[in-house]
Amino acid sequence: MATEPPVAGAASGAAPGLSGGKHVATGTPSPAAGIPRVDPVLDALDPDRGRPANVVETHGLTLRFLDKTILSSIDMGFERGTITALIGPTGSGKSTFLRTLNRMNDKVTGFRYEGSVTLEGRSIWAPGTDLLELRRRVGMLFQRPNPFPMSIRDNVVAGVRAHRIAKGRQLDVVAEQRLREVGLWDAVQDRLNDSPFRLSGGQQQLLCLARALAVGPDVLLLDEPTSSLDPISTEYVEALLAQLAPALTLIVVTHNLAQARRVSHRTMFFYDGRLVEHGPTDQVFEHPRDPQTERYVTGRIG
Amino acid sequence: MTAVGGAAGEAPAAPCRLDQAGRPPLRRAAGLLRSGETHAWRWGARVAVLLPLAGLLFAVVVLAVKAYPAVRVNGGTFFTGSGFKIGSTYAVTTHTAGVAHPKGSFYGAWPLIAGTLQTSVIAVAVALPVSIGCAFALTERLPAFISRPLGFAIELLAGVPSVVLGLWGVLTFGPWLARTLYPFLADHLPNVPVLDFFKGTVGHGEGLLTGGLVLSLMIVPIITATTADLFRQVPVLPKEGGEALGMTDVEVAHKITLRWVRSGIIGATALGLGRALGETMAIVLTVGAIFRLAPNAYSPMSTIAAAIATQLDSALTDGTGFAVASYAELALVLAVISVLVNLLARWIVRRTSHLGAPVGRAA
Repeated sequence: MATEPPVAGAASGAAPGLSGGKHVATGTPSPAAGIPRVDPVLDALDPDRGRPANVVETHGLTLRFLDKTILSSIDMGFERGTITALIGPTGSGKSTFLRTLNRMNDKVTGFRYEGSVTLEGRSIWAPGTDLLELRRRVGMLFQRPNPFPMSIRDNVVAGVRAHRIAKGRQLDVVAEQRLREVGLWDAVQDRLNDSPFRLSGGQQQLLCLARALAVGPDVLLLDEPTSSLDPISTEYVEALLAQLAPALTLIVVTHNLAQARRVSHRTMFFYDGRLVEHGPTDQVFEHPRDPQTERYVTGRIG
Repeated sequence: MTAVGGAAGEAPAAPCRLDQAGRPPLRRAAGLLRSGETHAWRWGARVAVLLPLAGLLFAVVVLAVKAYPAVRVNGGTFFTGSGFKIGSTYAVTTHTAGVAHPKGSFYGAWPLIAGTLQTSVIAVAVALPVSIGCAFALTERLPAFISRPLGFAIELLAGVPSVVLGLWGVLTFGPWLARTLYPFLADHLPNVPVLDFFKGTVGHGEGLLTGGLVLSLMIVPIITATTADLFRQVPVLPKEGGEALGMTDVEVAHKITLRWVRSGIIGATALGLGRALGETMAIVLTVGAIFRLAPNAYSPMSTIAAAIATQLDSALTDGTGFAVASYAELALVLAVISVLVNLLARWIVRRTSHLGAPVGRAA
């Protein structure tokens, strides 16, 4: 456990000092340094001012595979800079919902949808929508780390290269920035050209997070991002998510109710293809309105 | 009848005689039977595992012993010289380094060695991209109701006897190429090194390029089948990761799927190359089997395997046995080339696999 580099990264990042200073210099937020976003001047300069509060909205979204209805008429908005947890038992449709938001379900045989999903007010299925650009703006982190078969450095910049965001020596800068952002730099700076498959599971997941962040998404979808990680890596990733939230909108599917409670601002409870309840996380857990929600969050169904 | 009755009569006399371990006789017999069976399996397995190795060793040793006199006499010119001459079998036998051989005999295998490499390189250069494309289409793109019969057809191609392909190559495919593709290549390829090998007269379709293309047809199924198996083992998660990052499907295929199995494809290529190096019948029929270094890609030429197959007959007329020894040396050279190719492939695999994930590993 003590040799797990993310832990070391967390420890060193927690002490604001040498590494924190660098982040400020490069304009990269550090996970543990904290970014105060309540400054009124900054607020006035906020490019998000005047844009709709909800980055992603769904309107009467119904999802089907062949004739089986997975989810029916979901109306939901995801506010900019918040973390939303999607909870519910296996098969309740929350993963399908998540994967619809970046159109990962489109190629699945028999997938059909009704209603709409909008990103900044524009339907993600609108004709002329650039699917690749949509996926750049709506990133995804998966259940298990999925590094590409290329060097650690190339992994981080894979998306950057694909979207032609940077090239040449800029890529090295991007790689370092993003690896620092997830606290992996110290652990991997000497082996940037090595295989990512020799990293620990937690480190691999952080690498994938760095890769997803590198293309500058507005929204990050996380499909049980810590389900394959040990508790200490999980804690570290959760801390990272909390740091990312003001700049990013996070939507997290989790089976871990404690995790949902720890990291999220809002919680959606899915049961049997329906969105049973959604609201501020505290309310959903402390004072659920629906008896099914209460039974789930108290561990009586699931 | 009486014997059975006697046995039946005896049985109750000792109904329960136990052996030293306290087991009734039937169990002991079963135990003996089982241990016998175990022994048979064990020894069977030992023999089975050693047989191929012994066969290989035996073949190489016999070949080496046979070739030894030729190796001593021919020396280095065997690899650099050009031309096989049995010499005068009616004249006085001469001796060089204590080895008897006909007067005027000369063995220089350079055109054959070069020809073997040429046909094989052409075959692999054509078959590799085709096979990767085939395998990719079969596993990742085409729906099952198309890819299954198509995959089956490609596997059937591997079962077509090489003599059939060779005959088709020389009678149909080669002449057709000489009318269509070859003139086009000869006219349109630029006159730069390597590619200028494809300039000049195109002949009638019996030659190096025809042989290489027929060979490529024979190794496409091998590389395709192996590569398709590799592609099926690429886990879905990294591919989805690429899509979710906004990569195009071509980028996912090239940067993730293909890279995931890169070292495996090198192995598959070595497998195909091994087949191409040793292929005999199709080559004999399609390349013209003329002993010379091909001046251009369309010229008749020959390879080691083809030369052995077509010339051993006349080699046997050499009473001193020196010609046979020289062909044994030729066979030895082919074996060594094949081994070297495999070693090279292993080396490349080791060098390139450090970034890739082990095939089949969940990720």
